[in-house]
Amino acid sequence: MLFSSALIGLREGLEAALVVSILVAFLVKTDRRHALRWVWPGVGAAVLLSVAVGAILTYTTAQLSFEHQELLGGSLSIVAVVFVTAMIFWMRKASKSIAAELRGKMDDALDVGPAAVLLLSFLAVGREGLETAVFFYSAVQTAQSDTVQPLIGFAVGILASVVLAWLLYKGAVRFNLGKFFTITGVLLVFVAAGVLGYGLHDLQEAAFLPGIGTLAFDASATLPETSWYGALLKGIFNYSQQTTVLQAIAWVAYVVIVLPLFLKPSKKTAPVPAAAAASKE
Amino acid sequence: MTVRKTPSLAVLAGAAVLVTLAACDGKSDTAGATADGGPIKVSASDTACEVSATTAGAGNVTFEITNKGTKVTEFYLYAEGDRIMGEVENIAPGLNRRLIVEVADAGKYQTACKPGMAGAGIRGDFTVTGGVAKQNDANAQKAQATKSYADYIANNTAALEEETAKFAGLVKTGKVDEAKAAYARTRVYYERIEPVAEKFGDLDPAIDVREADLEPGQKFTGFHRLEKDLFVSGPQADTPQIADKLLTDVKDLVAKSKTLELTALDLANGAKGLLDEVATGKITGEEETFSHTDLWDFQANLDGSKGAITSLRPILQAKDAALTSTLDKEFANVQGLLDKQRVGDGFKLYTDLSQDQVKEFASAVDALSEPLSKVAEVVSK
Repeated sequence: MLFSSALIGLREGLEAALVVSILVAFLVKTDRRHALRWVWPGVGAAVLLSVAVGAILTYTTAQLSFEHQELLGGSLSIVAVVFVTAMIFWMRKASKSIAAELRGKMDDALDVGPAAVLLLSFLAVGREGLETAVFFYSAVQTAQSDTVQPLIGFAVGILASVVLAWLLYKGAVRFNLGKFFTITGVLLVFVAAGVLGYGLHDLQEAAFLPGIGTLAFDASATLPETSWYGALLKGIFNYSQQTTVLQAIAWVAYVVIVLPLFLKPSKKTAPVPAAAAASKE
Repeated sequence: MTVRKTPSLAVLAGAAVLVTLAACDGKSDTAGATADGGPIKVSASDTACEVSATTAGAGNVTFEITNKGTKVTEFYLYAEGDRIMGEVENIAPGLNRRLIVEVADAGKYQTACKPGMAGAGIRGDFTVTGGVAKQNDANAQKAQATKSYADYIANNTAALEEETAKFAGLVKTGKVDEAKAAYARTRVYYERIEPVAEKFGDLDPAIDVREADLEPGQKFTGFHRLEKDLFVSGPQADTPQIADKLLTDVKDLVAKSKTLELTALDLANGAKGLLDEVATGKITGEEETFSHTDLWDFQANLDGSKGAITSLRPILQAKDAALTSTLDKEFANVQGLLDKQRVGDGFKLYTDLSQDQVKEFASAVDALSEPLSKVAEVVSK
């Protein structure tokens, strides 16, 4: 009882914390600490919004229809993919320019706008925030009437996810810059591919897109989401044990397109893949 | 850093959207559908999915799912073909989660618990009764019908205003012959929308009262007063004022008709009412007692009736196809008789019709009135 709730907390927490922790590591690594103060308002706003709307939905008669909820989560996920993708290419650009310039004297054009940082943080946390908040409230209600175990489990899980994200951050910042960019970039490619698939799956569930019943594979037996390793996989890479064909195609397409683009050595003359991460202020 | 406000604005906008969505989806009754009005209790375990009620009325159905098993579970309500109507994921052991699904269509559904959040789940049949869906469908059709008829009204009222202005102008400038020629042509637009005009109690008599129907003390105004001046007695001292007042009243009517909210039942009654107008006024030659242009009005009433029926057609077709084809046949029959009396772009004068022709009209109109009188009942079914 406690364990399975903890896994849910861990998974949901990781989904949100992972991108944020990479973002923070990245800002710290590239001496852009001034942009850090934009991370927390984004995270905070997403948490507050989720908690507030979750409360409205839990304690009043207001409802969000299933379709709307899925549409919301799905759309936010897809917007998040756009931002993470932009971040990936921004990192690529940055890493190339680092080779050429002294650290700390990076091209100002590569500066990250506060809006981009804030929105990325907001989306990373907010896209799954509502579902998590609603879960949290039902755990609270259960705690009042029946048992506190799910609530405790959930809290432990969230805590564990934060610790993991922090460890990840700590680990990431130990690498030298070039390696850091490559590793986190590749990691982000897979994260973003997962978020994209996840978002599409949500839209399929809302019947906004077809093919919810057309599965590419069903790994419920071999790699269940309810296991700790399944939960970790889901938290980090948005793995789903029942992946629809559309989801699989989107995932593969994303990785096949973005990963080579990210990894390909840039020629001096070749234009850098266009992806404006930093919204110019 | 000029856009520093943007992020917080975006967040605020997001919040607004969310809250609005919740408010839009919000229903005042979160009642479930069990006999006692509470939510339907679902007791889920690793091997079972006990649903306390397997039927519910259409509308909002509330499920209260309790996971009594050891695995995290999900609960789904599926429509036919496994279309997801609603779901709750992540029901951890020991948790209660609530699911409110709006089910509009009566029919067969399935509930499913998915212990371990995998597989097809433990299914159970679930029946939704009641006709919210049919009602909604019908309502959508009715809305479509009234909208289409509103367009018909709008077209005709616009033309009525335009033609009345011309007609009044001719009357006021003393162009009697031209005014006489314009008279019947102008009235066509009024006669087509007469049921709408009759919704505005005082305007219809002011515009369209017949001399024979005047109440004691009522002033003789409107089309028929001008008809009398033009065709019989010649222009009077107050004829221009009467023409002005007619135009004012018509403009008033046109403006008011724009705000009119008609129902499908109004359309049905209007279609029948127009035919009654034909039977009581035009067939008898009483309507246009000075100009004898009754057949113009007859045609216009028939057009108006047909306009309403055309708007209602999808509803009628769905509910009573036989009635629809009867109506088509009888409309065509009356139209055929009218066509025989066409002269140029108008009609024979009523005074030129033979008794037999009048009788023929009367029986054709009766034959059409009969199915028309059933329309209201079919529409409101």
